[in-house]
Amino acid sequence: MKVLRGLFLWACVLAVVLPLLWVVLGSFKPSLQVIADPWGLPSPFKPQNYHEAWTEAAIGTGFLNSLIVTLTTLLILLPIGAMASYVLARFKFWGRTFIANTFLAGMMFPVFLVMIPLFLLMRTLGLTNSLGGLIIVYVAYSLSFTIFVLQGFFQAIPVELEEASLLDGCSESALFWRVMLPIAKPGLIVVGIFNAIGLWNEYGLALVLMTEKSQRTLPLAIADLSQTQQYQADYGALFAALVIVMVPLLVLYWFIKDRLKESMLAGSLKG
Amino acid sequence: MQRRPGWFIAGFLAPALLLYVGLVLFPLQQAVQISFFQWRGTSSVVKPAGTANYQQVIRDPVFYEALGNNAWMAIVVGLVVFAVAMLAAHALKKRDRPAKILDALVLVPMAVSSVVAALLWQFMFHPQMGPVPELQKLLGLGEFQSGWLATPAAALPAVGVALAWLSIGFYVVLFGAGMQQIPGEVMESADMDGIPGWAKFWRITWPLLWTVRRTAVIYWFISVMNTFAIVYLMTKGGPDHRTEVMLTYLYITAVENSQYGYGSALAVVNLVLVLAISGLLMWLMRRDPTEARA
Repeated sequence: MKVLRGLFLWACVLAVVLPLLWVVLGSFKPSLQVIADPWGLPSPFKPQNYHEAWTEAAIGTGFLNSLIVTLTTLLILLPIGAMASYVLARFKFWGRTFIANTFLAGMMFPVFLVMIPLFLLMRTLGLTNSLGGLIIVYVAYSLSFTIFVLQGFFQAIPVELEEASLLDGCSESALFWRVMLPIAKPGLIVVGIFNAIGLWNEYGLALVLMTEKSQRTLPLAIADLSQTQQYQADYGALFAALVIVMVPLLVLYWFIKDRLKESMLAGSLKG
Repeated sequence: MQRRPGWFIAGFLAPALLLYVGLVLFPLQQAVQISFFQWRGTSSVVKPAGTANYQQVIRDPVFYEALGNNAWMAIVVGLVVFAVAMLAAHALKKRDRPAKILDALVLVPMAVSSVVAALLWQFMFHPQMGPVPELQKLLGLGEFQSGWLATPAAALPAVGVALAWLSIGFYVVLFGAGMQQIPGEVMESADMDGIPGWAKFWRITWPLLWTVRRTAVIYWFISVMNTFAIVYLMTKGGPDHRTEVMLTYLYITAVENSQYGYGSALAVVNLVLVLAISGLLMWLMRRDPTEARA
């Protein structure tokens, strides 16, 4: 039993690590060696793959676009999501439950279902192939999850706190920005991290809305690269590109892995 | 305390609500509307079509094929994912070295995303350089002449492997947390009564994991219905629709073939199915089985 458990755990570790290791290994090999000798060490060692992927394959542009889109989306999403969650969590007003449920419903259905009208709408507005257009779409489609999580954080803040602040002559908006928002910071970090991962990796909406090469985000750039490089069989550069996509996420993951687990469960265990 | 901050509420809700209504709800309503028109994106002719698009969906063999593949992923891949995740969560309870290492790595596939997972596994199954066919030959299991992803019977399982690799970590963490919530005394008294391991699992752990199981099933169902990048990038739904899922079929119909009316009808049917089935799942798992005995 003990032996089996150990074997099973190591098998799981290998299942996670080996595919990634294989790609990293391949990213330093000449393309012919990738095919001829998939498991050997790189010989000759070819770090130029990274240079090729970054410049010729427009992975660099994609990286920059993804960085802009992810950060700007978060910068808009977090304040407006927090404002809405705060109001929905702590005020009683007509239509509150309905609005809260409407936002919540957005988490249930595959957003991809609206791609045709969304594409037509964005085309009419002249916002296809524009990073700005993609950003507002991302903000809109990230609201459901963001509000769902932040509402919980705002609900947990004790009432006495706001009563005291209001008695001190604090205005409603000062109460939010100076008292409530700082208290809800752990919640903002949680949704920030989750959205950052989701946005950095988003593929479907970007695929529909961004058709021009110069405007592509990283997932599009790499998917595109995999199509073209397969014909040219330049696997070394392709593997290097995959590594470029993964590294920022793996670095982020390493720093936040414990918090990631906690917060993932915060939402799902209440049932 | 009496507060009447109507303006404040409206002002704070407005930005989020405007974006959500404008870019999520309005397109959703539009999708329903477009589904009643005959509209090829390549021409400017838009004709009312009544329920013709829906009748076409009902007769469309590819629609059923895609639906069947989604169901296969939900059930077959789902059972594998849940079984392995349950085992792993159980094995992770003791904190020795391999457990700590796996615990640190368990969410890596989720973080590196479905696009990376799709491309990664496409190469893993690659007929010339892929480690999987390599291993297959090494074990004397023969090989697929045109590779896994181009062989009708092997393509769906291959996509399933990539999907499982990507998703399993979340369920390991989820089940693990559920197991931690089970009070230690319960297990200790079971040990003292000499209840064997398997019985302990089925009679104690499994029923007490009720909330976690419900979350897991619903979450899994929704993520299977959201599956797109894995399939689209690995196989494009091929060979001959054998790996087609609802969203790849929708994408190919709507974007590659510019059939806006028909694509929208597919989207609406898909939406209704997702809502109905998740509602059904929630209803089926609504009751806490531990409550009845209390």
